[in-house]
Amino acid sequence: MPGRHRAARPSGVGRAHIAALDGLRGFAVVAVLLFHAGYLNGGFLGVDLFFVLSGFLITGLLLGEATGRGRIPLAAFWVRRARRLLPALCCVVVVTVLATWAWGSTAQLRFALDDLPWVGAQAVNWHYIAEQVGYWNASDTRVFAHLWSIGVEWQFYLAWPLVVAVAARGRFGERIVASLAGAGALVSLALTVSLGAAVDTTRAYEGTDTRAAALLLGALVATAPVRDLARRVPRRAADLVCLALACGLAVAWAVTEGEKAPLLFEGGLFVHSLAAAVLIVLMARVPGTWAARIAGSRLPRGLGKLSYSLYLWHWPVYLLLLPRLSALGGPGGTAVAIGVSLVAAAVTTRFVEDPVRARAGWARGGRGWIAVVAPAVAGVVLWAAVPEPVTGAGTVDVDQLR
Amino acid sequence: MNSKRTFRTRSSRRSARHALSGVAAVAALGLALVGCGGKDSGTRDEGKSRATASTDTKVLWLGDSIAGAEAPALGAALKASGVEFKDSSSDGGGTIVDSGEKITQMISGDTWKQLAKDIKSFRPTVVAYQVTTYDWGSPARQRAAYEKAVGTVEDAGAKLVFVAPPPIKIDGFYKPHEAQMRTAPKVAAEVAGKSGGAAAFFDASQVWGTDHAAQEALRAPDGIHNCQQGAAAFARWFTGTLGKQEKFTPASVDSWAQKSWTGDKRYGNLRCAA
Repeated sequence: MPGRHRAARPSGVGRAHIAALDGLRGFAVVAVLLFHAGYLNGGFLGVDLFFVLSGFLITGLLLGEATGRGRIPLAAFWVRRARRLLPALCCVVVVTVLATWAWGSTAQLRFALDDLPWVGAQAVNWHYIAEQVGYWNASDTRVFAHLWSIGVEWQFYLAWPLVVAVAARGRFGERIVASLAGAGALVSLALTVSLGAAVDTTRAYEGTDTRAAALLLGALVATAPVRDLARRVPRRAADLVCLALACGLAVAWAVTEGEKAPLLFEGGLFVHSLAAAVLIVLMARVPGTWAARIAGSRLPRGLGKLSYSLYLWHWPVYLLLLPRLSALGGPGGTAVAIGVSLVAAAVTTRFVEDPVRARAGWARGGRGWIAVVAPAVAGVVLWAAVPEPVTGAGTVDVDQLR
Repeated sequence: MNSKRTFRTRSSRRSARHALSGVAAVAALGLALVGCGGKDSGTRDEGKSRATASTDTKVLWLGDSIAGAEAPALGAALKASGVEFKDSSSDGGGTIVDSGEKITQMISGDTWKQLAKDIKSFRPTVVAYQVTTYDWGSPARQRAAYEKAVGTVEDAGAKLVFVAPPPIKIDGFYKPHEAQMRTAPKVAAEVAGKSGGAAAFFDASQVWGTDHAAQEALRAPDGIHNCQQGAAAFARWFTGTLGKQEKFTPASVDSWAQKSWTGDKRYGNLRCAA
């Protein structure tokens, strides 16, 4: 394996454990897919698990760099993130706009064009907060509604490495990072409680500051003090704790009554994130746990590897395809929509994500740069070229008013 | 460090620089587009609106998001009638009643603050408050809030108009407050009746009926708000009723009912026909 791939592994996380964490991503994305299809009321918590995993893995990578090289090359970090995330995102966005133009409703096309610049700026979560999308239950008019979480992740990726780069210097660097992550998570919890007591919960649900709790708890368990503590846990004890935590997460996914359940903003999201963080660090640090073996098995791991593209594709596929599959009934239509999403995700992963990330032949050097920018430019051209629909014409019958 | 490694580092730095430029370009493009404020909308030809006789009436519109879904048409109808209009309805609350529950304490506090600001800046001659779905609490609490509103608006030299809310689908959220929501318009009517002319009560059941499921109620797919046709029907009725009170002539529906307000974003959010 080339050196750069070895360096990209989070601090102290072995290959088997990476497979287990991939598997967790697989469970998370399935939960989200089922939730959006109306089959798992708390499946949206899968996004929270994604956040915790991201915080854990990213912080592990940054601390690994800080320990190994004595400094964190921030530009290289951001470039790797961009190569990992942007090409697939741009491809999905471009295809989605075209598909919405062809098959979407007038409102869907209008909102797609409205939201597109915010998606490009990786800030669509704030746009949706301003638009009170949650209050209006308007997600199914927005083909990019699910990309709020990608915006949150990007904003975290921009800010947190700067903090780690400064805090991780020196002898007690990892302890300082752990303290900052823990304190930050508590501040984020306080913000969630405060902002969640509102009629419109979009601010609490999609805010970067409020959802930072999950990312920072993931970051906290990636630091040496917690890693070392986890490593000392005997395997049998770890098995029992992992079993309890996994059951707890599964119950939360099954019984939580949607994204607006008041308990979520009164500490529920925080407890979920904390449980996920402990599960992750035990799976990553204690060798041979049952949880890691199950999560690392073929199916969840395979889904985990597709999870990013699958997450990107599923929502526009649902919105544009499901209304046309009503003859198949709910489960039949959902199965077809998930199947289409899986195929699209597999193609995107195989031909876009992996080659660009691994710098395959066509995606090296200057061509790599083109691979990142070209889909983005295509998105901008499309945004300018697709005519915004005129909405509202013919909706009022004046004769009925006389 | 061997030469191979040096080369690789330089190469990766170069590609990193390129890729970083790419990322910056993508973000800059996105931000530039955001900065543009979105594409042009509402491009439908409004035509040259006929000059309307200006009145001295200035209407400040208050209420919750149901009032908000009525506001685009109401604004168009009143402006076409020469009446100044300011929509201060709230998407998510808008109540003036502190029911004793934390949520309405917060909302009503915000509404009162906003009302004070609007009175100062807009100087309305009419403040119209559509009773909201958050006007919870006992009749005594409702009465106290409505009487306070009458006093506040009277002190500002304006008249208060209470507007009854439309019938809505009572879902799980509203169920615990259904009885309180039913008393609120009755209390508002009573307060207006005893105000000595400082306030009036407009009974909107004349336009909506009393059954949310009936065709006449013109509810949006959510059973709570209205779409464009409902907004237009309400605006015609309200403008006519207010015109009688304030002595102005409502503009013909032909002059405003099919204009650009029908493309307001909130109707997209409500899954109304586009």
